[in-house]
Amino acid sequence: MPYLVGHFDRCTGCAICQLVCSARVHGGYNPRRGNLFIQMGPENRVNLPVVCHQCDNAFCLRVCPTGAISRSADLSIPVVDREVCIGCGQCADACPIGMIRIWEKKAYKCDLCGGAPECVAACPADALSLVKETEAAR
Amino acid sequence: MTTSYMGQFLKIDLTRGRVETMPVDPDLQRRFIGGKGVGARLLYDLAPPQCDPLGPDNPLLFMTGPLTGTRAPAMRGCVITKSPLTGTFLDSYFGGHFSPEIKYAGYDGLIFTGRSETPVYLWIDDDRVEIRDAAHLEGKDTFETNHALKAELADPTVKVACIGPAGERAIRYALIACEYNRQAGRGGAGAVMGSKGLKAIAIRGTRSVQVADRTAFNAAVKTACSQLNEETTGAFTLDGTAGSIPFANETGLLPVRNYRDGVFGGAEGLGPEAQREKLWQRDLACAGCPIRCSKMGKIRTGKYAGIVSDAVEYELLGLLGSNLGISDIRAVTHLAHQCDAIGIDGMSAGGAIGFAMELFEKGVIGPEDTGGVDLAFGSVAAADHLLDAIALRKGRLGHLLGEGVRRAAEALGGDAPDMAVHIKGLEYPAWGPRGVPGMALATATADRGGCHQRAFPILNEVEGRWKGEPITQLGLEKKAAIVVEQQNDLAALDTLVKCDFAQYGIERPTYLDLLAAAAGRRLSVEDLNILGERVWNQVRLFNIREGFSRKEDAIPKRFMTDPLPSGPRAGHRITPADMDRLVSDYYALRGWDENGKPRPETLERLGLAEA
Repeated sequence: MPYLVGHFDRCTGCAICQLVCSARVHGGYNPRRGNLFIQMGPENRVNLPVVCHQCDNAFCLRVCPTGAISRSADLSIPVVDREVCIGCGQCADACPIGMIRIWEKKAYKCDLCGGAPECVAACPADALSLVKETEAAR
Repeated sequence: MTTSYMGQFLKIDLTRGRVETMPVDPDLQRRFIGGKGVGARLLYDLAPPQCDPLGPDNPLLFMTGPLTGTRAPAMRGCVITKSPLTGTFLDSYFGGHFSPEIKYAGYDGLIFTGRSETPVYLWIDDDRVEIRDAAHLEGKDTFETNHALKAELADPTVKVACIGPAGERAIRYALIACEYNRQAGRGGAGAVMGSKGLKAIAIRGTRSVQVADRTAFNAAVKTACSQLNEETTGAFTLDGTAGSIPFANETGLLPVRNYRDGVFGGAEGLGPEAQREKLWQRDLACAGCPIRCSKMGKIRTGKYAGIVSDAVEYELLGLLGSNLGISDIRAVTHLAHQCDAIGIDGMSAGGAIGFAMELFEKGVIGPEDTGGVDLAFGSVAAADHLLDAIALRKGRLGHLLGEGVRRAAEALGGDAPDMAVHIKGLEYPAWGPRGVPGMALATATADRGGCHQRAFPILNEVEGRWKGEPITQLGLEKKAAIVVEQQNDLAALDTLVKCDFAQYGIERPTYLDLLAAAAGRRLSVEDLNILGERVWNQVRLFNIREGFSRKEDAIPKRFMTDPLPSGPRAGHRITPADMDRLVSDYYALRGWDENGKPRPETLERLGLAEA
């Protein structure tokens, strides 16, 4: 499964990744609405990008009571079907790094833009990478 | 139509403790766009003439622009109020992440009026707005206040603007610290905030900022980002503004020992190489900005080891470094960090300390005024002593210096006013003008007093070219035209609200494409110039109403009487006759009368006749 990696050594905290993500997912700009975020270290000494790990043992998927979270056919990563999602928030509660957000009673998570993440393309500091994990690497 | 405006202001009456929303007047937005323009008009209409800047009647405005909070690169916000330091219009700009949050909460701006009897902070959680008690935050520095509010609101992503102990005491050049390490620094906006009993503003917004045409907007963003490249803004990406230290020193423009010289032997100790070695660790950017001119780090060795700080930018390197005869970047980082923490503008603080050091050197003040501390140039201990005295209004000298060099010099009398380097009361920036007459005019006519950000002809003067035509560095020809054109251009872009560095890259048609795609307003380059001229004249009307005229459009006496002692322009000064000629040229080009008042036909042409 492919997944994102954030590099704190390069991240400048500009939030362009969150801005492009929010525009894609919600049709407007607000970093809070992005499916990734940047943690500010003490006194802003560091900015730490926090991204979805696209887990093997995906807690979000396991706890979903309606089957709204399932593995995508193409990338085999956990994705949300918001037609089925009832907004109960179990998935958000289960994710230890806050990668599920509930907006207007529906769950949102990173879907890697279907395989070509806009955040990676937009980052001016090359602080995000898409890792395409092969079977051999597992 | 969907636009990038939120369509409403939040009005907070601190006297009555009332909060209400107010729709933005479409005509106001049409004529003034946002940021500086809308703020200038609102201030003119809301502030009673001759109001006390530190009284309840002075409005305090936080303004955004139509591109703030979008993906348009390098957009900021501004604070607009009447300055307690100068008595003029004041616009103070801040990057970082606070201004976008105003829009994410659903507002184009915040309008504070009145005064709370007890210390309060404002908590904006989308449309839930509360004026909350801030007694527990009193006396906390700006960093402590920021951290305390995030802990109290149990959300580290809340964005905070606050004042420090200096703002609480209404030190006339107190700043507003914005999220994070970004300051609405100049002119005393923090004193106005303190005078209102307002310790902080905390915001969390979950709304999205929309744009009118997403396809066109994405295309304009792509163009804008491509124009922020190696050639245009690469120097800021590499070294921030610290890269200006070698340039200013070689051209003799650096302030040294209270502006007596323009060349500093210790300049190398302040420049980018020294900062990289002793402080910097990584690049840092404001919201949505690819330039990343900031450099975060930590002082690693020596007496000041452990201070976590942003890069020390050029103005503070000049005013807290060379101007005080201090060449150790670690010490200057410490002083700059102290100014940020106690919440005073490090530029004015450096000006005030340099002034005091010269007074001490010349015996106008002595050890009896300083509690025995030797105020020698080069002494970090002396600077520390004075910062503390200023922020806490300790002793007569601390109290006087906290009023700014103009008021301090008037109170001290004698030769003191000759050593007070300011324009209209605002301490002068770190660009001594004796070898660059255009810059002298730019600062003399800057709307908020001694400021280098309203026009910056230095680059043209040193290069000897303007619009492809040759000019001479020391000559007066064309200098007024350069200043007028740059002031109009930058004032227009300050309605958006632009970043001073990004505007070196992003071409004007690109800004207009961004505006059209985001806000659905298509302006031509000619419209943009007229917008800038309209804003500049609107601000001038405010200053005229507050009593300003030609006699204040002047430079500090030192630059007219004392020739530069060293550097490539040694021996040069701006004579009073030169200055008079430049100001006359400038007024003629502006369509102002000989006293600097806009002529009726000028106001008519700009659609300002009703004012």
